[in-house]
Amino acid sequence: MSNKDLEIYYTYLRDVLYYPKRAKIVPEDFSDEGHREFAEAMLSFGGMVIEMRELAGSLSRGELDVSLPSSDNELAAPLKALHSTLKHLTWQTKQVAGGDYDQQVGFMGEFSVAFNEMVAQLAERRREMEAEVVSSKQRTDELAKANSIFEVITSSMAEWIVMVDRVSGEHLFANHQAKSMLASDTFEQQLYDILVEYSASMLIDDEPRKEEFMLISDVAAQYFEMMLYPIKWYEHEAVACVLTDVTANKEEYNRLEEVAYKDVMTGVFNRLYGMRMLEQWTDEKTAFRLVFVDMDMLKYVNDVFGHNEGDTYIKAVAELLQEVSSTAVVCRLGGDEFMVLIQDRDVRGRDMAEVFEGLREKLAQSSVVGENGELMYNRSISFGIIAVGENNVLTTSSILETADERMYEYKKAHKKERRV
Amino acid sequence: MANIFKRDATIHEFDWENLGDIKAGREDLGEDMPVLVYRLMQFTMLDILTKDFGPDKANEYFRRAGFLAGSEFAKHVLDLSVDFNAFLADLTKALADNKIGILRMEAIDPDTGNLVLTVGQDLDCSGLPITNETVCNYDEGFISGILNAYTGKKYDVREIDCWASGDRVCRFNVSVE
Repeated sequence: MSNKDLEIYYTYLRDVLYYPKRAKIVPEDFSDEGHREFAEAMLSFGGMVIEMRELAGSLSRGELDVSLPSSDNELAAPLKALHSTLKHLTWQTKQVAGGDYDQQVGFMGEFSVAFNEMVAQLAERRREMEAEVVSSKQRTDELAKANSIFEVITSSMAEWIVMVDRVSGEHLFANHQAKSMLASDTFEQQLYDILVEYSASMLIDDEPRKEEFMLISDVAAQYFEMMLYPIKWYEHEAVACVLTDVTANKEEYNRLEEVAYKDVMTGVFNRLYGMRMLEQWTDEKTAFRLVFVDMDMLKYVNDVFGHNEGDTYIKAVAELLQEVSSTAVVCRLGGDEFMVLIQDRDVRGRDMAEVFEGLREKLAQSSVVGENGELMYNRSISFGIIAVGENNVLTTSSILETADERMYEYKKAHKKERRV
Repeated sequence: MANIFKRDATIHEFDWENLGDIKAGREDLGEDMPVLVYRLMQFTMLDILTKDFGPDKANEYFRRAGFLAGSEFAKHVLDLSVDFNAFLADLTKALADNKIGILRMEAIDPDTGNLVLTVGQDLDCSGLPITNETVCNYDEGFISGILNAYTGKKYDVREIDCWASGDRVCRFNVSVE
């Protein structure tokens, strides 16, 4: 082998390694048959090396969609196997990314362990999430059931349930009955004002409490009882207001009160109520005046002019006595006797004797005259006043007796003034 | 006197039960054997079939036998009720557990169902001398039989790279017919 031949082989091998694009050897350039065959073998080997390098370069750049060397290139076979493995791993990774956690990598040493552990952890995480989803769904179902029960109960309840944010006054919930009621413009604003006022006065830790209030519409008054329950409602500090319309109860109570405490003929309170108030004020050490009033000549009027006229006379006195004060308790003790109770704060500095003298004069002006203008009888009252102070020690009987005695003295003193 | 308890079957017609109770029958030697023995039987049979029927016919017989084996293997070893991903995972494990080869998926076309898969360290060919041939005809049938048992479709499985042709894994193109 000449030095020139050696130089050609050397150059070709160097170029295959370092400058593959210019690597070139032409077997036909050799005159010797043996060299030509050797050059062809080198050309084949060099081609394999270059192909292998190109494939290795592609793999190192992650380029897997490349044309592979043919099976004739045995040097590239291990790289083709690696290419196959990488393609498989790529496919497996895509499968895992798509949720296929059955993927396992085998026969790849530490990589297999790491990959399989990763997939196992992902699978475990998915199981946990699925369990959480199931649990969450169960909770949602339970809540839906509870809510369904809640809706059935609240919609079938006669009570109105309204939820109000105790801080902002925001309306949070109203059951069916409450919504129907709220559709009425008349009540809505009044009701909200009341609910917001009561809700704002409650603290979240307060005990439930009961309130009563009244709403006035154009046509009637409605009475309510309301239970207030402070609760946490999602992010709200809320108050659940359960309202019951007690108007019918209230009206019935008023009717019974009317029957129990009012004098049917005159409309003023009766003896039962008057004595109860007298005892209450006495027990409470309230400062008040008691005025015992006795109608003059009622028996004469009944006997001479009949009971109808007598009743008219009684009604006139009852109406007159109510002029003392809107807060005075006027009651008919029976027959021709009345009692007026008035607290000192409502006396407002007036001399009650003068007040009743004034009433007496006013009553006289309503005395009854005949067809010819002659006086039929003189309407008048006699009265006795007793002031009961905060330090009173008298019993109610004593108080009443004293007033009665003073009335009698008054009547006696004014006997001559009465004429028929 | 005839033994009436003997099975009324012939070894010439394949039946999974005819594979027998290997564990009981090979109490000391066990269920495993060297790959050498498997290949000894396979390639001597190939030799005889080739001499009697020619190489194409012999390859065809091997492919049909592989199909039958794959079909029976799938029915008796694999879970055919699971989804495709789980089935592939099950198949990969079963092939490894039974030391048939390391199955790897290179590509799948979801529209056609066509696959490119490789089998490494293949029982039939890995380590064979290079002959410039693809020799895994039995594997082609085996893969086709397995997929047919799972999907009910017919598959054309062709080996495009083989250890015997100079590669280190066997690569198969799998097309739905």
